[in-house]
Amino acid sequence: MREKRLLTKHMYENPLDSHTIKSYINNGGYEALRLVLKESSPEKVLDEVKDSNIRGRGGAGFPTGTKWGFLAKEEPRYLVINADESEPGTFKDRILLERDPHQIIEGMIITSYASNISKAFIYIRGEYAKSARRVQAAVQETYQEGFLGENILGTGFSLEIVVHLGAGAYICGEETALLNSLEGKRGEPRLKPPFFPAAMGLYNKPTLVNNVETISAIPWILQNSGKAYSKLGVEGSAGTRIFSLSGHVNKPGNYEIEMGCTFREFMEDLGGGVLKGKKVKAFIPGGASAPWFTGGQLDVKMTIDDVAAAGSMLGSGAVIIMDEDTSMLRAAKSIVSFFAHESCGQCTPCREGTTWMELILERIESGRGRASDIELLLDISDNISPGLEWPPKMTTICPLGPSAVSPIVSLMEHFREEVELLIPRKISL
Amino acid sequence: MTEKIKISVDNKVFEIQKGQLLIEACEENGIDIPRFCWHKRMDPVGMCRMCLVEVETPRGKALITSCTEKVTEDMIVDTESETVKKAQEGVLEFLLINHPLDCPICDRAGECPLQDQTMEHGPGESRFIEEKRHFEKPIPISDLILLDRERCVLCARCTRFSEEISGDPLIEFTQRGNQTQILTFPDEPFNSYFSGNTVEICPVGALTSTSYRFKARPWDLKSNQSTCNQCSLGCSVNVNVSQDKVLRYLGIDNESVNQGWLCDKGRYGFEYIHSENRILKPHSKIENEFVETSWNTSLGQVAYRIKKSLEFKEDSVAFIGGALGTNEDNYALAHLFKKVIKTDNIYLSDNFFLSHNLLLGDYERATIDDLDSSETIVLWGQDIKETLPILYLRVKKAVRNGAKLVLIGPKTSSWSSLATLNITYKPGNEIEVVNKMKAKRSKEYKKLVELIEGRSVTYLIGKSTVGHSENLIEKFITYVREISKAKVLPLATKANILGAIHMGLFNHENNLLDFIDKARERKIKTLIISGTDFISNSIYSKELKDALTYVEFVVSLDMFSNDTSQRADLILPVTTLNEKDGTFTNIESRVSRQNQSIPVPGQAKSDWEIVNDLLEILSCESIGNSEFQINTELTNNIQGYSGVTFTELDKPSNKKGVIVSQKLIHQQEEEIEEEIEEEIEEEIEEDTDDYSLIFYEKLYGDKVMQRNSPSISFLGSSRHIQISPRDAKSLDITDSDNIKLTVEDESMMLRAIIDQGIKSGTIAIPINRRGVNHFGRYAHGKIEKISEGEIFNVN
Repeated sequence: MREKRLLTKHMYENPLDSHTIKSYINNGGYEALRLVLKESSPEKVLDEVKDSNIRGRGGAGFPTGTKWGFLAKEEPRYLVINADESEPGTFKDRILLERDPHQIIEGMIITSYASNISKAFIYIRGEYAKSARRVQAAVQETYQEGFLGENILGTGFSLEIVVHLGAGAYICGEETALLNSLEGKRGEPRLKPPFFPAAMGLYNKPTLVNNVETISAIPWILQNSGKAYSKLGVEGSAGTRIFSLSGHVNKPGNYEIEMGCTFREFMEDLGGGVLKGKKVKAFIPGGASAPWFTGGQLDVKMTIDDVAAAGSMLGSGAVIIMDEDTSMLRAAKSIVSFFAHESCGQCTPCREGTTWMELILERIESGRGRASDIELLLDISDNISPGLEWPPKMTTICPLGPSAVSPIVSLMEHFREEVELLIPRKISL
Repeated sequence: MTEKIKISVDNKVFEIQKGQLLIEACEENGIDIPRFCWHKRMDPVGMCRMCLVEVETPRGKALITSCTEKVTEDMIVDTESETVKKAQEGVLEFLLINHPLDCPICDRAGECPLQDQTMEHGPGESRFIEEKRHFEKPIPISDLILLDRERCVLCARCTRFSEEISGDPLIEFTQRGNQTQILTFPDEPFNSYFSGNTVEICPVGALTSTSYRFKARPWDLKSNQSTCNQCSLGCSVNVNVSQDKVLRYLGIDNESVNQGWLCDKGRYGFEYIHSENRILKPHSKIENEFVETSWNTSLGQVAYRIKKSLEFKEDSVAFIGGALGTNEDNYALAHLFKKVIKTDNIYLSDNFFLSHNLLLGDYERATIDDLDSSETIVLWGQDIKETLPILYLRVKKAVRNGAKLVLIGPKTSSWSSLATLNITYKPGNEIEVVNKMKAKRSKEYKKLVELIEGRSVTYLIGKSTVGHSENLIEKFITYVREISKAKVLPLATKANILGAIHMGLFNHENNLLDFIDKARERKIKTLIISGTDFISNSIYSKELKDALTYVEFVVSLDMFSNDTSQRADLILPVTTLNEKDGTFTNIESRVSRQNQSIPVPGQAKSDWEIVNDLLEILSCESIGNSEFQINTELTNNIQGYSGVTFTELDKPSNKKGVIVSQKLIHQQEEEIEEEIEEEIEEEIEEDTDDYSLIFYEKLYGDKVMQRNSPSISFLGSSRHIQISPRDAKSLDITDSDNIKLTVEDESMMLRAIIDQGIKSGTIAIPINRRGVNHFGRYAHGKIEKISEGEIFNVN
């Protein structure tokens, strides 16, 4: 199999200056915008997006056209681009931000036009300094070129874009925490209900929150039609997707492919197979929050629905390969530690539970585990995510707490014996 | 009014008001759902997750927090399922794993929601064997409050209170995740007038007060409902007593008044009751020394003088009072002076006193609750955050719920950002407000008229500075009543002042200047003082000091030796709040109970007892031998008071007080009206070097009662002026510089505070400070910078 480059085409063909407006325009950039503003209407844009069957690339996979349709009629309305890419293993938005910022901006302008929005924000994670520089410069260029600001291309449509840099909190990738952070408040998720962004978002106004990759696909869809896009990939997972491949593979990196191949094909054809020819012990199909697959599940198809049916999620498109020599306890601990560190601290089960689990895993790892610890870990998990089901139920405000539960559940489900071997028999509670 | 809907909770069907929160609906129907963060006076945040219940949804049963979920038609709720129990126990375990469990040394133990709920819903033992989270503990976050972050369960009650209710967001979350903690900002202590409320609503012992810390165990406390008398709002309080000592006040959620909250002055200002400085025996001055004497001798002396005055028809006995006593005290005093001594030499010491026309006039009066249903609220008077703090909370609440606020005054207040419109003028130019409003002369006055015309408006009206003319206030009221649906709440701010007037004690608006004249003419031979330290507080203190030297015999009914009682010939020790039963009439004429919670110390007597003893010596008929009897007498005789007997007020349905109505009996004479009219026409002389002075009261001052309440004793000690940035610049004054204030021929050194809210050409001076009070008589003064090293004699 090979890559199918739609969103990454421009950056790979013009590696030296793909981020500049000159290069972008020379390669057909902003044509979709001209087309839309001149010949289309907001309704038509929405129809095209609906036709494309594109689903959100941030992790939840919600149909983008439907999401746009939910936006409440009240004004003003805002568009917020979630560029707080922080899910461990995910680095796809980064190349879009750094190497093709105008594709994002064009997508934002078209989206704003379609939803009658005159102010848009792009919230970039604090660690992405280069991305922020590139996007800021690109926004500047776009203003100068007349694609942003008052009365764009003489159509009467106006749009202002604000670039905002986060301050280093994973939780701000959760859309309502992002909105709080953007408003200058603590980055804590809001209660849903009532704070669904489409009705009560930024400054309590209707707000469309879209992922970088989703918005990057908008210009292509408008230029080539929604139908054309929907023909790519498979049913339910239309279009291409940029997967971030990492872990024990020979060629880690971002690969844009049509959805529908298996993880094995993807890992072997594009990732060059496992390092040193070892076997896959387990892999994470969609970012650190996703339940693990074992080596035996490599033939699951890389579509949103197939992965869900197999008990995990395609999430943010981060595929992490773990070879046969990996300590699964340490893998789990690494992920749990991450979530404990990134818990916002707002609600009790996540704030207390994630750190507690981290401490127990650390104790087991250091050889001081107790026989009761496995049941304890599962019970703590159950108190954060009752029933330990997938998709998870939760006692928390947002899914961060349950995210720390999935590695524990995966660990105990597939590798319990490995953990038991680490617990000295002489100690019992 | 609102629609009722049916919901099913634990297989029982209830009728609930639509839109109500599930947790509240359950509580009202006797179903207890455990909670920490939810508080009915604040917005829900769903943070602690303790109140999880199961609700049927189209996708099956879901766990949701009942504090964030509004009830909907046919909702099916399960609060007792296995899943719910498991989730709640899980949350409790999470809350406990890092909790220090130092209950044996924690103030909250015994009344601690965390403790109670652990008993009821919690796991029996801990599965947590790791090291707990540690913080330095406790740390002081203000003069009054200590913070223990290890005990904290991060419920955000204190932070929400500070932001939503009091509007001083000085306490906040910092850090995140497992290190999340409550903290103040660097170099900014939690200096809020309302900080004590956070201690009261803290569901654990994370916030404790210096006042109550380690003083008692809750199970040793007796609790008694009463009414605070620190200002005229009359907040409902629970007085907590152990071993005959009042140890703390807790706020009672009186829907119509304080809704559970108290200001810190009210909460901690009771401490003087147990001060070792209290005078507990009668003292007589012999050769400039006070010596102990007996009640018999003392009262004999007083009675003798009264008798003499009556015999010779001299009318030589006078009374100067404050308004601290109960209605029963004031009724007795009124009886003595009006019926027995038959004198009009009765004087009230209050720098911000309002006329009877204003207090009892025939117009629609506002209750505090009217704020909630007003479209617009207009405040023109003292800064209520300083003088009636809980009324400020009620105004803030009304504004939060959509009412528009207009603030009028010579300076903008610290909370002016709440207002839709702020109107300022030069002090002395109050007439300008009325005239410009009538003429809609400028943009802001047009806006003012727009905000009130035809709307339902509550007017909070008082004196914005000492010199604010009452006549103008009346003019203002007359006009606004013409153009809006007006309800007026006159801001008589002193304790039980309205009650004292209702009792007929201060039914003549005698000015203290009349007393000074009469005393200097030696027409007053005996002066009886109760409930006021006017030498420390009155704007006429200099003249009063002089006048007292002309009076033959001065009797002071007081608890402390202070600047006034020091000058008396006889000090009679009196009781204070919590040492007697009685009733209190608040600013809106709401009468509520004050209860005796502790025995009377030493030989102190209440004012009514002293009156009763005097009546006996004078062979007059007694008016009652107990508070109960006097209350009965009072309710029989005082207009409007028939429904406020002890028995009635003690009924549960009347716990929030009963509003009485008393209309003006003595009509103002026309001449006075005209006289004032002329006064207004006078042009105010302008001296370019002079600053116009604004005198106002801060919450904390240095009255003797506050000085003897250790927790708050020093909070009102700063003597300063507030000056505009522009004037400060032209005088080369920077913040906290010392300046010299010269009024008439007297100078004083004060600290300057630069304040954006002050208009150029004016300065504001807190007046409730000894040594500053007497400046209040004047309208203009000069200030100059004191250069460094210059020695200046403080007067």
